[in-house]
Amino acid sequence: MNSPLDGKVRALDLSMGWAGPLVGQMLAEMGAEVIKVEDTRRFDWWRGSLSMGPPEAQPIERASVFNTANRGKLGVTLDLNSARGIELVKRLVKMSDVLIENYSPGVMDRFGLSYATLGAINSRLIMVSMPSFGSNGPECNARGYGNTVEAMAGVTGLNGYHDNEQRYTLSNALGDPVAGLHGALVVLAALRERARTGRGQLVEIAQVEAAIPLVAGAILEYQFSGEVPRPRGNRHPRYAPHGVYRCAGDDACQPGHPWLAIAAETDQQWRAVADALGLAHLAADARFSDASQRKVNEDALDAELSRALATMSADDAAHRLAAAGVYVAPVHSAAAVLADAHLASRGYFVAIDRAVVGTHLYPGAVARLSATPLSADAPAPLLGEHNRAVLGGMLGMSEAEIGELEQSGVIGTRPRDDRGATR
Amino acid sequence: MRYRALNDVRVIDLTHHLAGPYATKLLGDLGAEVIKVEPPWGDAERRAGPYRKGAEDAERGGLFAFLNQNKFGVTLNLRHDRGRELLLGLLADADILVENFAPATLPGLGLAPATLIEKFPRLSVVSISNFGQDGPERDGLLNDLTLFARGGWTFPVGEPNREPLTPPGSLAQYVGALYGAIGAMQALTARDLGLGRGQHVDISLLEATVATMIYETVTFQYSGIVRERAGKRFAIGPFMIVTLKCKDGYAGLQMVTDKQFEGLCDLLGRPEMFRDARFHTALERMRNNDALLEIVEKFFLEHERAWLYREGQSRAIPLVPIPSVAEVLEWEQTKARNYFETIEDPVLGAIRVPGTPLKLTSHRAEPARPAPRLGEHNREILGARLGVNAGELERLRAAGTI
Repeated sequence: MNSPLDGKVRALDLSMGWAGPLVGQMLAEMGAEVIKVEDTRRFDWWRGSLSMGPPEAQPIERASVFNTANRGKLGVTLDLNSARGIELVKRLVKMSDVLIENYSPGVMDRFGLSYATLGAINSRLIMVSMPSFGSNGPECNARGYGNTVEAMAGVTGLNGYHDNEQRYTLSNALGDPVAGLHGALVVLAALRERARTGRGQLVEIAQVEAAIPLVAGAILEYQFSGEVPRPRGNRHPRYAPHGVYRCAGDDACQPGHPWLAIAAETDQQWRAVADALGLAHLAADARFSDASQRKVNEDALDAELSRALATMSADDAAHRLAAAGVYVAPVHSAAAVLADAHLASRGYFVAIDRAVVGTHLYPGAVARLSATPLSADAPAPLLGEHNRAVLGGMLGMSEAEIGELEQSGVIGTRPRDDRGATR
Repeated sequence: MRYRALNDVRVIDLTHHLAGPYATKLLGDLGAEVIKVEPPWGDAERRAGPYRKGAEDAERGGLFAFLNQNKFGVTLNLRHDRGRELLLGLLADADILVENFAPATLPGLGLAPATLIEKFPRLSVVSISNFGQDGPERDGLLNDLTLFARGGWTFPVGEPNREPLTPPGSLAQYVGALYGAIGAMQALTARDLGLGRGQHVDISLLEATVATMIYETVTFQYSGIVRERAGKRFAIGPFMIVTLKCKDGYAGLQMVTDKQFEGLCDLLGRPEMFRDARFHTALERMRNNDALLEIVEKFFLEHERAWLYREGQSRAIPLVPIPSVAEVLEWEQTKARNYFETIEDPVLGAIRVPGTPLKLTSHRAEPARPAPRLGEHNREILGARLGVNAGELERLRAAGTI
């Protein structure tokens, strides 16, 4: 037995972007059959825009993010604004265990696909609904994606340099994967509950509510101190040095980006930093004698370290600091992460050949299960790639019926613009 | 809150600090019975704050109280033979062991995950570690600063002409925790859907961090372009994802689609701009991103957050104020959904903590149980369940085993 959900769980993925699709991707890694349903007019927005290239270049098949978040899924198109399309969704629901959607509140209802309707068709259905801010409350209709959700969770308000007011959005639209991971967790929990009770259920995850716990520390700090925590940048509230410093020349992995993150928690680690970098005079400097002194004189400390590191090779400094038992890491760009020898030794990235774009390395499954390894090496589907397999093979529709659906635009393999013309 | 979805699951929690405890909290919130096993001197997180003013020497800080709700607490010194014996007693009928020691620690105590799984075939062990259970840097040091840096989150953030900006707090560790909780459920699901036995689940915080860097590693291969720091912008692309100063603070805009751009032009009072050749397609908006930013930036500076939020959202643009955590706590939306929970913590008093993000509808959740005092359930768990009598409990306490 290699894939625990193989032949046991079928999921319909009606979601877009990252949060919802990640749930289906993780179920696919466990062997579930995941059917991604898109509309040829309103295809997953993570495919990007048709205007990004001429039609023959198939621009919406070239989106790295879509092609990563939808790995291992079957791709089906259905016009959700047609009665025929909705009827087919319901037929698929009847045969499915899980449905994932991250539309704004009310959209599924308008399609005629509310949980009340779908649960009546299939009482074993586990429906995961992932609205940005929840399905009720005064601001539930506000629009939010990963970055805006992250902002409303209080994360962005904490992200800035220690010495200026500008706030910055994180590099990774964190609200999305955090909501998606909660979705994957709750599907497995609900499947377990269903095995006991025989019944499915609706689960709602407001994306913003999934991200707020990540700043629980700051929320409690505010309650205890009455002061609103402000950004700390690269600094730490209690110890120093704790920063990102520029070194000389080029990092082998990362030409032109020789930044090192360095931290010392204890006095002993601080002395190790100074020794490893040949800065014995700093270890002896009274301004830096203990953690509280180093915090008080942190600007001076950072200036001294910056001056010294600016003449050292990042690789060399990193090796020496690591050997001295200090926290140190190169500040990796995406290119450097791909070249990370430790990740490579664990076979983290997996090569996948995907139509239109060819072969690339993709992030592998995070959990390494010793007996039932996950598999993250199947490509994302092309738009409507599996229409025939799913509608014919699974729903038993004839070639003539499928042809008719194509004629009437209920299904298709080419995107259509708002006027309905194929591109 | 506490659900019952996993009420047939027993978790032994050997974790400390943050990533491990949040993983087991997620399982406990879903109804699993979580027994937190601490050394007699306690999880170091108890001393990590934040504290109430004047109560800095309390038995625990606020984050510990949040991370360890819905758990029972026992103490065991695993360096003592009897401590290890009692742990094995707890593992005999457990489904999951979660641990986040350095990879060499448990094997050094004769408690290697593989050995435990062999001894208890239905048990799965979830190990959450910095770099994973193997590889050249398996035993390396990592903290939040270096995890963010190494995992690729830091590099693209901040001003182009100054140092890259580290994200706040321990965000990536929470991500690792989520993978840990999911890993536990994956092992449990595999066991009960046919495998029939437990297994070892290896979670590397570094890999969890890389997995959530918006697939930048793939984007780089497709385009050959490394995303550089773009200041207040998320990146320079066929969109405008930006954090902007307004009259009374900061607001965040995430304009991606043509429709959203049309809405934005309307918000700016310049509907004709939608047809402007410089901005008409996503590709043009990428090419002329600086010019577009300049226009939007100027407009935001002249308006207040609340106005921008209301008027932007009424045009279906993802545009939000950037609240402080104090404002999140008082946000009408979280209040209407009863999101924050007030827990009566026996040490810290009433505190408001984030509630569960998972809203199951199959049954009602019960209020959360506060985090355990150190060794609070020694008598209940070690005594009643493992049959350690009162006399021995006293002797174990005196010997420093519990």
